[in-house]
Amino acid sequence: MTGEPILGISGLDISFTSYGQKSQILHDVSMHIDQGERVSLIGQSGSGKTVTMRTIIGTLPMPPAIIERGSIRFEGTELLTLDKRARNRLKGTGISIVLQDPMLSFNPLLTIGRQMDDVVRFADIRLNISRRRADRTARIHEVLRNVQLADPERICSAYPMMLSGGMRQRVLIGMALLNSPRLLIADEPGTALDVTTQQEILVLLNRLVDETGMSLMLITHNLGVVREMADRVYVMERGRIVETGTRAEIFNNPQHGYTRRLMEAVPSLYGSRVTDVTNERAEDAMIKVRDISKDFPLRSGLFNRQVGITRAVKDVELTINRGDIFGIAGESGSGKTTLAKMMLGLFDATDGAITMDKLNVHDAAGSRDFRKLVQIVYQNPGSSLNPKRTVADQLSVPLIFADFDRSTIAARIRELLELVDLPARYASMYPHELSGGQKQRVAIARALSVDPKILVLDEPTSALDVLIQNVVIDLLQRLRSELDLTYVFISHDLSLMRNFCNRVAIMFRGEICEQGETPDVFANPQHPYTRALLSAIPVLTDEEAAQKPIIEASERNAVLLSTTTLN
Amino acid sequence: MAFYLTKRALSLLMVLLGLAVMIFVIARIVPGDPARIALGPLATANQVAELRQEMGLNDPIYVQLWHYLVGLAQGDLGKSLLTSRPVMSDILQALPATFELVLATVILQISISIPLGVLAAYYRDSWIDNITRILSLLGVVIPGFVLAIILQLLASYYFTSFPVTGRLDPSLDFQANTTGLLLIDSVIAGRPDVFIDALRYLFLPAIALAAGGIGQVMRITRSAMIEVGSRDFIEAARAYGIPERVITFRYMLRVASVAPLTILGLEFASLIGNAFVVEFVFSWPGIASYGVRTILQKDLNAVIGVVLVSGVFFVIANLTIDVLLGIIDPRHRIRGAQKA
Repeated sequence: MTGEPILGISGLDISFTSYGQKSQILHDVSMHIDQGERVSLIGQSGSGKTVTMRTIIGTLPMPPAIIERGSIRFEGTELLTLDKRARNRLKGTGISIVLQDPMLSFNPLLTIGRQMDDVVRFADIRLNISRRRADRTARIHEVLRNVQLADPERICSAYPMMLSGGMRQRVLIGMALLNSPRLLIADEPGTALDVTTQQEILVLLNRLVDETGMSLMLITHNLGVVREMADRVYVMERGRIVETGTRAEIFNNPQHGYTRRLMEAVPSLYGSRVTDVTNERAEDAMIKVRDISKDFPLRSGLFNRQVGITRAVKDVELTINRGDIFGIAGESGSGKTTLAKMMLGLFDATDGAITMDKLNVHDAAGSRDFRKLVQIVYQNPGSSLNPKRTVADQLSVPLIFADFDRSTIAARIRELLELVDLPARYASMYPHELSGGQKQRVAIARALSVDPKILVLDEPTSALDVLIQNVVIDLLQRLRSELDLTYVFISHDLSLMRNFCNRVAIMFRGEICEQGETPDVFANPQHPYTRALLSAIPVLTDEEAAQKPIIEASERNAVLLSTTTLN
Repeated sequence: MAFYLTKRALSLLMVLLGLAVMIFVIARIVPGDPARIALGPLATANQVAELRQEMGLNDPIYVQLWHYLVGLAQGDLGKSLLTSRPVMSDILQALPATFELVLATVILQISISIPLGVLAAYYRDSWIDNITRILSLLGVVIPGFVLAIILQLLASYYFTSFPVTGRLDPSLDFQANTTGLLLIDSVIAGRPDVFIDALRYLFLPAIALAAGGIGQVMRITRSAMIEVGSRDFIEAARAYGIPERVITFRYMLRVASVAPLTILGLEFASLIGNAFVVEFVFSWPGIASYGVRTILQKDLNAVIGVVLVSGVFFVIANLTIDVLLGIIDPRHRIRGAQKA
């Protein structure tokens, strides 16, 4: 290491006060980033990553936060004692950020051009540079081309909502680069996007770091991303840095127990750590989806006339056997959720028919029998549970509908909680008193309350941390064998699907482009879209990376929508 | 934008048509014979029957409705039984005073509530926040007419420079003939004395009328500002070094103003209702005194006319809000256009 690092943090202690109570959030955090280095900070939610990031860029709200001790030096200047004006001068020009969600990081009411111009103009004012508007626009266009956006002028005149997620992420990176920062902090770049788009974004970030020589601090919980993006890694747990090392050291020889647990919790795509799931039961068709399609009307004009249709699901044909864990994979907009809603009878199919355990969904939807047959577990337990009612209240609602006697409901609730490994005293708690994993277990218990035979699982773990994800997945596995359940598992996470499902179907633009036994589909993907998906997944080891399917650029471009041009 | 406007205007026309039909039908089915009321208890059965024939009350209700709507399309609201003059001209005479009061009220509401809401959000949980909270609570819970009477009492004892009845000092001898609005006509006529006098008269009724809306809109502005302030793009703007002043107004208030503006439009209905009472208390020569008299007299044509005019007010206010929202929030206008 030569000279002083671009960023040096030492002995940082930060506390938060709320209602007079003080609790320490960061404990003696020290780290450094060298010139041109890519450093990754990993940890689960609540580990203190975001607080660290905010302290560096100067957006930590104080109060409630208090910096108790420590120092942050940027290019030799102490940031924590720097006066406000000098500190503000560095914002965007010395240190800049790319926030996690490109959908939420723009002002929805201003054009992209206006927002970018604001960033340049106020930086100019702080640095006492005078530039004409045309010069600023030229700079904006240059940066947009640099993030590979083909038509800067049209992008500038567009409102954020008119751009796709991938394009917004590119613009967002461009926005951070407008004033040529020396350090870029990226918070979970691309994780809010589809995996194929995420990969493009990671490639772009790597290229920009190479070209500009800036340093990159990458905040993420995704170890696969870290492997593709970082020179050095810091692992954070509960406000402490528990391990640090080069990428090779961390991935090949993790020392700390927490790091090792994190690594083991990530489901593998290929190799020895993959588990094959099988269905031991004799083949017995439980769910039959026959040639099903769903159209949505496009309305427009003065009288909301129907001007066309979008076909969200096209001629889908599926047979799911009793005891299957059937995975339906696909990216956003692929039609997987529409298909699931049709199975649940929430949407009526335009064409075709679905039978579930001999009940025709079209006729049975909404009936008592059907509700007792199929239940759903939603993606985000934080919003699928009613925050104002206790766990017992929420579990009793379906029981009352299923004609349970009042006197037996309490016993049934205890039984359900036991089933999902929650102590009986949780019955009187409110959702906000529970952790994410516990909430999802309550949601599972609620789905199981009427003793269904089929559970539709809509991304049941994607809102959870990876360590908790495994607990929930293990629980679901156990429940399947105990209660003789059939699962329809909807997800975009193919690594998880590899280890959880015995059969999978890949959806692409409303159609099933490929389906089969999980090991076959993953070992020998036929459709180019499946190959594009699999090759985009960030994995943990070189061994796995080597086994990923290879896809030609031309083939890839044929199946993926461009994130670089407006259509 | 033109498309968006046409669409909004058309749907509001439909609302007005619906209102006209509904109020006409209601007015016809309430018990009591308008002809008998108009002629008084001493009229003979023959006279009543004659008037019924003349008013068309013997026709089936849909024929009456059709005649009424045809007249309405030509700006004819029928004749008032009370004043024996066309309802239209009665209303046009009283309308400017009410319009001026309502306009002043809305301007007062916007210019007080939104800045206070922003302040309360900016100095969240400080004494400023607490004081505005108490003020808004008072504004919401005190009915307009109670406040009107309190203000009147205070003004007659302590703040005598604010007159408590009427619209203008009669000794000033001024006729608002151009727009009917004193504040505008006095400027056109070059009469600053009238302008100032009109403001003095306007002040108390406008305050009484505005208080409830101010309280509500202020709280909504505050919570909208706080909610927007926690969004990611605000943190991003801070991290890119955009000054706090610009963030507060261009980034936060612009986004946060959608909710208070919508509420302001909806509040307009209760504002018109309150205007009736407040005008009465302050003897304001507006449409309210006319409306109250005609309702008591069961002067049906006039009642329908007054309700329709209130409806037009409400619809125009909401159209204005829609246009404002369309300007502020591109999502309002582009969503429709994109699909087209």
